Amino acid sequence: MRLKSNSNINGRLWGWDPPLKSSYDAVIIGGGLHGLATAYFLARHHGMSRVAVIEKRYIGFGGSGRNTAIVRANQRTQENLPLYKEALEMWPVLTRELDFNLMFYNCGNLNLAHSEAALKAMRLQVASAQIYGIQSQLVDPEQCKTLIPALDISDRPRYPIYGGMYHPPGGIVRHDAVVWGLAKGAARKGIHIHQGTEVTGIGVKNQKIVSVETDKGKINTSRVLNAAGGYSAALSYQMLGIRLPISVLTIQAMVTQPLKPLLNHVVSSGAYHCYANQTLKGEIATGAHMDPWPNYTNQSTARYIKHQAEAVTEFLPCLKGVKFMRIWGGLADMTPDMAPIIYGNDPIKGYYIDCGWGYFGFKSCLVTGKYMAKFMADGTCPNILKPFTLRRFEQHRLMGETAAVVNYSPDN
Amino acid sequence: MAFTITCPVCGIRRGYEFRFGGEDKGPMPPEESLASETWCEYVHMNNCIAGIQKEWWFHRDGCGSWFTIYRDTTTNQQVENR
Ligand SMILES: Cc1cc2nc3c(=O)[nH]c(=O)nc-3n(C[C@H](O)[C@H](O)[C@H](O)COP(=O)(O)OP(=O)(O)OC[C@H]3O[C@@H](n4cnc5c(N)ncnc54)[C@H](O)[C@@H]3O)c2cc1C
Ligand SMILES: [Zn+2]
Repeated sequence: MRLKSNSNINGRLWGWDPPLKSSYDAVIIGGGLHGLATAYFLARHHGMSRVAVIEKRYIGFGGSGRNTAIVRANQRTQENLPLYKEALEMWPVLTRELDFNLMFYNCGNLNLAHSEAALKAMRLQVASAQIYGIQSQLVDPEQCKTLIPALDISDRPRYPIYGGMYHPPGGIVRHDAVVWGLAKGAARKGIHIHQGTEVTGIGVKNQKIVSVETDKGKINTSRVLNAAGGYSAALSYQMLGIRLPISVLTIQAMVTQPLKPLLNHVVSSGAYHCYANQTLKGEIATGAHMDPWPNYTNQSTARYIKHQAEAVTEFLPCLKGVKFMRIWGGLADMTPDMAPIIYGNDPIKGYYIDCGWGYFGFKSCLVTGKYMAKFMADGTCPNILKPFTLRRFEQHRLMGETAAVVNYSPDN
Repeated sequence: MAFTITCPVCGIRRGYEFRFGGEDKGPMPPEESLASETWCEYVHMNNCIAGIQKEWWFHRDGCGSWFTIYRDTTTNQQVENR
């Protein structure tokens, strides 16, 4: 189905539906944030505007329109920290550059510890962040309570609060605004965004990309980026026979009815598999649980509505009796070390991948797009992206990011 | 629709009683002169099929059997062996 100009958001955003040309300098598969950001920066920094973004459904259909919009830079490992630091710094810059209000709300993130062991792990994580100049500090239970008065810091909950890790510069960004802002910015620079168009094949000759097949026709090109989010691993295997170390799981999130302001930071808890923040509309947005087996259903389940209600009311008891208004699911493409795969030009020249972002690829979309654009423009991988190579798995050099977050994997 | 799995011993049970055991990748490659790439393929790499796949399950909260089934990953429904 072809979306018509002026009858919808893209009409108002970029005014016209470009014709699908028979050749482009680069084709990007997936109109999510990673694809759109890469397209934008290809035009903005590298003068490449003969670029097509091919989106099967509509821009933001995937994780980009389904995430809980949390951004932060207090990752755990030295490979991840610089990337996320720059990512966080880009929101205000892009808000100006795109002339689009991305609604960056740097309310800060409080991550709760419910054991001595968790506190020790946080100590390491805080120190690592500080080395990179990222604001992050340990707080005791009373300080947690000062930050979020609604928290129950007594010993009543099953997992009482032992302290926390407070990261003031993080927060929330309006994810739809980022999708629209980037699409508008890219289209203005001449990028063609083709919604309702599905990539059905990738042409390779002599180990080089030569074309992309779509349901609307064939496109000749020498560069392709696989930025298909949850669908990227299936696509890579089906179209090129390249398997990726990914498991695709449905992850769910939900919002309550709107309430008066009571939660002025993002709060998260590994022990309860739960995080929550209050949106600017007043709803408590909370997530996120993953099905413990791979699937592409995008379905929500009664099991996790119950789990979420139990978990969030343990540390925020004032939410008891509040109603959930909406629940939804999206796909998370998980890697064994909870770090993404950013790779290209090997073994097929001109084939690039940016995936494996699991449930943490929103916060990184701008910075990854910026460097992926550079990678695609000169064919050599920028240093900041090198640790994310696909080769790390056969080299047994998995990253230690697993330890930083709840390990949701099918192996749990 | 409720997700169920048929255990060869216990019959049709709730899906949450089981633990997923990975895509079926055939026998483990022989250890002798095992290349790092081959091991990586076996351990980490997945087909991630959006459709019917053969996969391992473990009846964790039940009889403890390991067995394979075919399941449609787009619907979670177990299907007859093809
Ligand atoms: C419930 C939930 C909560 C999350 N919370 C957070 C969070 O708080 N913070 C955070 O940082 N991250 C979060 N994430 C993760 C984040 O949303 C994703 O990592 C990110 O959106 C990935 O962006 P993307 O552009 O790579 O992929 P997507 O946004 O998934 O885009 C991929 C696009 O490719 C298209 N596509 C697929 N196949 C084809 C094809 N054959 N042809 C053409 N197009 C195709 C799809 O339609 C889709 O639009 C969350 C995710 C979910 C689901
Ligand atoms: Zn059994």
